[in-house]
Amino acid sequence: MSNGSDSASGASGASGIEGKTPEEILASDACKAPAPGRAPLRRMSNAEYRNTMLDLLGDSPTNQSLVATATRTFPSETESLGFRNNADYLGVSTLVAQGYVDAAEQFLEPIASNSSFLSCSPSAGAEMDCARTFIANFGKRAFRRPLTADESTQYAAIFQKSLSAYDFQSAVRATAFAFLQSPKFLYRVEFGAAPSGTTTRPSPYEMANRLSYLFWQSMPDQSLFDAAESDQLATPAQVEAQARRMLQSPKASRLLEYFDQWLGTDTLPTTFTRDATVYPGLDPNLIPLLQQETRSFVSSVLARPDGNLTELFTAPYTFANASLAKHYGLSGPAGSDFVRVEAPGRAGVLTQGMMLARDKPTRTSIVRRGLKVRLDVLCELVPAPPPNVNLTLDTSDTSSLTQRQRLEQHRVSPSCSGCHSLMDPVGVVFEGFDAVGRQRTADEHGATVDTTSTIEHTVDANGPVSTPAQLGEKLGQSEEVRSCYVTKSFRFFYGRDTDATADACSLAQLSQSFKGKAYSLSELLVALTQTDAFLYLPVRSSEAP
Amino acid sequence: MKKQLSRRTLLRGAVGVGIGLPLLEAMLPRTAHGATTTAPRRIIFVFQANGDQTKRRFIDTGETSFTFDEFLAPLEPYRKDLLLLNRLDRRYGKFASGERSDGHQQGGASLAPWKSGSGAFPIGGADRTIGYVTGPSADHEIGARVLKDNPGVSTRHLVFRVNTRENNIWAVSSHAGPAGQQNPVNPETDPYNAYASLFSEVSSDPAVAAALAKRIAMKQSALDNAVGEISSLRAKLGTGDQQRLDQHTQALRDIERSLSATASNAACAPVPFAGPKLNVFEDGNHVELGQLFFKVSAWALACDKTRSVNFNWSGNTSNRVYSNLGLTDGHHDISHISDDDAFAKVRMIHKHLWQQSVTLHDLLKATPDGPGGTLWDNTLVVHWNELGQGDAHSENDALVVLAGGAGGHFKMGRLIDFQNQASFADMLVSCFHYMGYEDVMSFGDPLLNSGGPLPNLKA
Repeated sequence: MSNGSDSASGASGASGIEGKTPEEILASDACKAPAPGRAPLRRMSNAEYRNTMLDLLGDSPTNQSLVATATRTFPSETESLGFRNNADYLGVSTLVAQGYVDAAEQFLEPIASNSSFLSCSPSAGAEMDCARTFIANFGKRAFRRPLTADESTQYAAIFQKSLSAYDFQSAVRATAFAFLQSPKFLYRVEFGAAPSGTTTRPSPYEMANRLSYLFWQSMPDQSLFDAAESDQLATPAQVEAQARRMLQSPKASRLLEYFDQWLGTDTLPTTFTRDATVYPGLDPNLIPLLQQETRSFVSSVLARPDGNLTELFTAPYTFANASLAKHYGLSGPAGSDFVRVEAPGRAGVLTQGMMLARDKPTRTSIVRRGLKVRLDVLCELVPAPPPNVNLTLDTSDTSSLTQRQRLEQHRVSPSCSGCHSLMDPVGVVFEGFDAVGRQRTADEHGATVDTTSTIEHTVDANGPVSTPAQLGEKLGQSEEVRSCYVTKSFRFFYGRDTDATADACSLAQLSQSFKGKAYSLSELLVALTQTDAFLYLPVRSSEAP
Repeated sequence: MKKQLSRRTLLRGAVGVGIGLPLLEAMLPRTAHGATTTAPRRIIFVFQANGDQTKRRFIDTGETSFTFDEFLAPLEPYRKDLLLLNRLDRRYGKFASGERSDGHQQGGASLAPWKSGSGAFPIGGADRTIGYVTGPSADHEIGARVLKDNPGVSTRHLVFRVNTRENNIWAVSSHAGPAGQQNPVNPETDPYNAYASLFSEVSSDPAVAAALAKRIAMKQSALDNAVGEISSLRAKLGTGDQQRLDQHTQALRDIERSLSATASNAACAPVPFAGPKLNVFEDGNHVELGQLFFKVSAWALACDKTRSVNFNWSGNTSNRVYSNLGLTDGHHDISHISDDDAFAKVRMIHKHLWQQSVTLHDLLKATPDGPGGTLWDNTLVVHWNELGQGDAHSENDALVVLAGGAGGHFKMGRLIDFQNQASFADMLVSCFHYMGYEDVMSFGDPLLNSGGPLPNLKA
């Protein structure tokens, strides 16, 4: 799937643009003409498939349940750089293909009984006339663009073949089934509006799809179809207007998938294992509560234009319902709905499920908390630990020491200090929170926690900190972190890794917009629709890599 | 084609018997490998994670006088059918630092002994990201050869993993390649789904059979259509997209092959799992899910749906907490510690996993296969681990346990100490030879191979 050699990390930087400001890059010759970078064929992620199917069938509790059940056994996508939607790793293996076959069978009845697809009743001998209407209606939704004449003929032949062997209803189902196995349904296929030269704009329907899959992780709605039909998605301003409309839709909550994957809260069901003797009486639904906390919090930051990166990392409030508030020891929320609650000492996502995702069953992990910030907030590369390293610090002869003190001891060793000076000083700042996210003043062994620290080895976030909010403040003001956030957003929303050279213009456009909008998270989402990478694509060639 | 028992008949016959029961012999697909000829050879890879404690494997390391120490003791009842390959070297230290991931990741890809690519993970490389290995694994390549040579076999290989959802560099041991490409094969994690995919409904009721035929026709038509569409799309796209579309085409061909097999050889359908359906991601079901995967594997082999299985008790670097053994720390965390207490826990985990793994041996022994024999006679089970010594993360000191009658290919009942002078990849070459592919003299990157199978293994 992936060549393995074509990846250049945006974080590591390896070209002539290194060290240049976004303004300098954008003023360079390289950005005079549109430079969209790669545009690989994108298979729908599992989340996109579910959303698309739901929007295709019509969003209702019944269909939600149907889609969830039918797609339950889809294998989790191959992970790359923290995300599960990298086009280069999203193939269709046998197991995935079998999942598509099995799932599609479950959708045939609701499709065949949907009058917006099948709007006619066939009369004997004239079944084909009715079938053509179905093929046009359903085909346009499944392929997310009108069918070509050849495609209409091709699917009519599938219908006819089944009709000859069986009956009209069977033929409708067989035709719908064929649409749902088509690569034109399963992938987003783009050839551009004017396939000549080196770069082209997406066709109107391709742009409608780019927009809908960015904001809704799903197919276009009727407004986007209409805009595409009347060629109203051609200018950056038209695209931006749609982006702002779409951000206001309830369907925009689907882009929270980005935050789930970036922060790692989606992996909590696997990573969050806690020992019941050390942490007795935990709410059995703590994992979904933690996931919902982050979703509610991020939604509220996104809902305000001034909700920015610093707030994401420093907010002294969170969202909780009665159950989570009880767990955290916060007062206020009474019902099952998540509401904003003041939480002094907390620091946005840094002290939510993200912080806990790599803790140990019986204790916090200073190292892994620090590692997570290094990898996911600073976009740094961290070497693997050397072999023969004792990962468990709970040895009896040093039990009088805190985890922090033991880590300080082992950092005396040169083989450890190189990497641990990256991680530990970040991780200790979170020691005021236990491994299930509650504030504390004493650690697992009763020793008073000490969260004073000095951050080192960052580009521009070094210095003394003693609380997560102070760390969050440094991170939120850091160019390194801002650049990382742009890189992460690029990777997820464009479904591919950055290339330091080929994507330099788009990355600079994003950085410049992010800065210009005071690091607003929602404005960065809009800015993602205004880059060369979004507004253009390379002209396809079978010789191109 | 010989008349076989329908599932309805089978269900009637199965009343009152448990789920672990051997298949009825009449149900087996004789047509697949001839009515009277010898049964085909099969291979099952079984993985457990995090290395062990090498000096506690054996008390006596004599070739035939070997005695197991505590954590390998569950193997004792099978000793006459075991070939213990001690101290193999994976040799990936020969790769340049940018071409290999860490001990767990690269060792976890031992069945696919290729260099690692880049682009998947920010941990492991010193100055660049690390990717998946860039070539296929032995379970995939053996399965591919079987498919090519045996039109009656429907499925290239089965890849199973217990419990964990995520498919990352730590969790995937099977790779599709081809050489030069990262293409991890994400495993099936749901034994019920595996069963349903392999064994379709069968009925002697003409109406039910007609409905099944109709569904198969619908699927075949749609898959044909998709293959044609991919073909015309492919011509207009670049190499990377083409590679993924080729993989998709291969997947559709695989399913078409299964559908054809369903249509022609439907009767080999074993008893569905009894009992309440288990949550496949409930950690407490670890052992039971493993047993279900073993059953699906045995049934698939018995019905000649496939001849290659890759089973994993976990991903590599597994940090599963074996709370069923009274442990509170994760397996991987424990495995890093070099004190006696930690080694005792590591041995406890391995003993537990060996106790579970040998139930596969029992299942194979209880499943009829070939004239008068059982699956055990015609199967090679390859037990492996991503590391040698756990706390040292050693790439050498690998222990591979070959088990089974294996068609008499190997001289069993022995322990061979290779003293790290032979490679893990050579062992994979031996697996190809066992399966009848003696033209294979090297598998994976040449740096990891010696140019032939392991010496001194064959009967």
